[in-house]
Amino acid sequence: MHTCAIEVKDLSFGYSDALVLDRVSFRVNKGDFAAVIGSNGTGKSTMIKLLLGLLSPSKGEIFLMGGALSTFKQFSKIGYIPQNSGSSAGTFPATAEEIVMSSLYPQVGFMRIPGKKHRKIVADALEKVGMTAHAKSLISELSGGQQQRVMLARVLVNDPEILLLDEPTVGIDTAAVASLMEILHRLNIEKNVTILMVTHDLSVVAPYLNRVLCLSDHNFAEDELPEGVIIHAHAGTHVHAHEHVHCAACEHPHNDAECSVCSHLHEKGGES
Amino acid sequence: MLEIFQYDFMRRAFVVGILLAVIIPCIGIIVVFKRLSLIGDALSHTSLAGVAIGLLLGINPILGAMAASLAAAFSIEAIRKKIPRYSELSIAIVLSVGVGLAGVLSGFVKNSANFNSFLFGSIVAISDFETALVIGISILVFLGFILLYKELFYIAFDEQAAALSGVPVRLVNTIFTILTAVTVSVASRTVGALVVSSLMVVPVASGMLLAKSYKQTVIGSVICAVISTVIGLFISYYSGTKPGGTIVLTGVALFLLALLAQKISRAAQARRRKGAANGQS
Repeated sequence: MHTCAIEVKDLSFGYSDALVLDRVSFRVNKGDFAAVIGSNGTGKSTMIKLLLGLLSPSKGEIFLMGGALSTFKQFSKIGYIPQNSGSSAGTFPATAEEIVMSSLYPQVGFMRIPGKKHRKIVADALEKVGMTAHAKSLISELSGGQQQRVMLARVLVNDPEILLLDEPTVGIDTAAVASLMEILHRLNIEKNVTILMVTHDLSVVAPYLNRVLCLSDHNFAEDELPEGVIIHAHAGTHVHAHEHVHCAACEHPHNDAECSVCSHLHEKGGES
Repeated sequence: MLEIFQYDFMRRAFVVGILLAVIIPCIGIIVVFKRLSLIGDALSHTSLAGVAIGLLLGINPILGAMAASLAAAFSIEAIRKKIPRYSELSIAIVLSVGVGLAGVLSGFVKNSANFNSFLFGSIVAISDFETALVIGISILVFLGFILLYKELFYIAFDEQAAALSGVPVRLVNTIFTILTAVTVSVASRTVGALVVSSLMVVPVASGMLLAKSYKQTVIGSVICAVISTVIGLFISYYSGTKPGGTIVLTGVALFLLALLAQKISRAAQARRRKGAANGQS
């Protein structure tokens, strides 16, 4: 039985008179790697902000890790990378290490000074994203892909159970996208981190996903999915979530015991 | 002992000047990184209205400046929340109110020399009470900055993420607003309302050019401010120029030197890279 990481029931939201989301319902299970796709203006980023409580819905309910959003307190377990976060951080005169350390606030505490233990957590997070060599580099000196990996390290320091990513592949080159997706894939497989990613690059990220949510006309719909993606629709009253079974290299589900790549990743995870 | 240090008023000017040179960039660095560089202008100009009110009501003008500066700081925060996409407009609105009020009220002040001393400061003519006030406020601001170092960094870098992580953003912003307002009001008396904003921004700009991290930017900004204050006071004493303006101009000269140092360092790096590339090929 799947444990639900994110559940949205009959959610509506609008800016002034313009309705952005209309009675949207869907669920993302623990361990899912899901993408939210759809045309511009269909409310993908708005949906993420609603999940974080940064916007208040006009109607409907949101549940995170089994608890209602209105009473949810464990936001440190939700890692959020907003749109263009890497490039907007690029002008700030701080090192990758300093930026990642700031996100450790929930563990350090108010008016406390970070200690050796905290510096180790930051070093580990930078290592996970392959940025150890750039720990002391100013964020402005890093490439777009490297900045995005630092943004990922920021959210990893708090051992998130859910990652919400808003178009993390925008503005970075193909090699950097592949590297980022590989890191996310490992987190999903090895740490069972639930990932919900807003993206326009479905063709690039599709091999890593097990679920696609397509927003269309303010709701989730079955259309607009690229050809060749194997889809199983799970329809609720207003929802159509799609699952497709692919693996990065072998076209099996990620957690398939018979998948050589997945088994390999599991073994590597066990060793480390 | 150098002649300059034989005078009590000059020794006092150095103590007060150096203390302010330590705390003003601490406030300035957050102000600059929150993209609110003009806040110093808005608060210092409004503090002039407080000076006029103080002089008219017969209370200490610094206390009047402090009250006006606090009111201005909270007004900026309140307007900023109403129009978050145009936050810089809140500063312009409060700056206009401050300048307008100061202009109108100064017309009623009988002792205009006293009022004018707040425009360019009078660091060499401050009283015992004012010296004690600067020392007390410097300790308060420095401690506040150190204790809230990581919270202020996080808010300046990403206020939304800081709030999601549990940083009490409203409380920290309120404390910072109070610290900014009191710093600006005491600095108005010493270095002058018209130049305090420059002291908040120029040393930070120099620090940013030379630093390789946020921590280094903080330390570099404070060092630049202390150097420009000390050199500025020396020049002012021996050339007879006004101390406030001289300190700021020295700060600008340091900034130009920092810019030159950065260009030379980048050119040397580029030459090294080119040399290494040629060596490989």
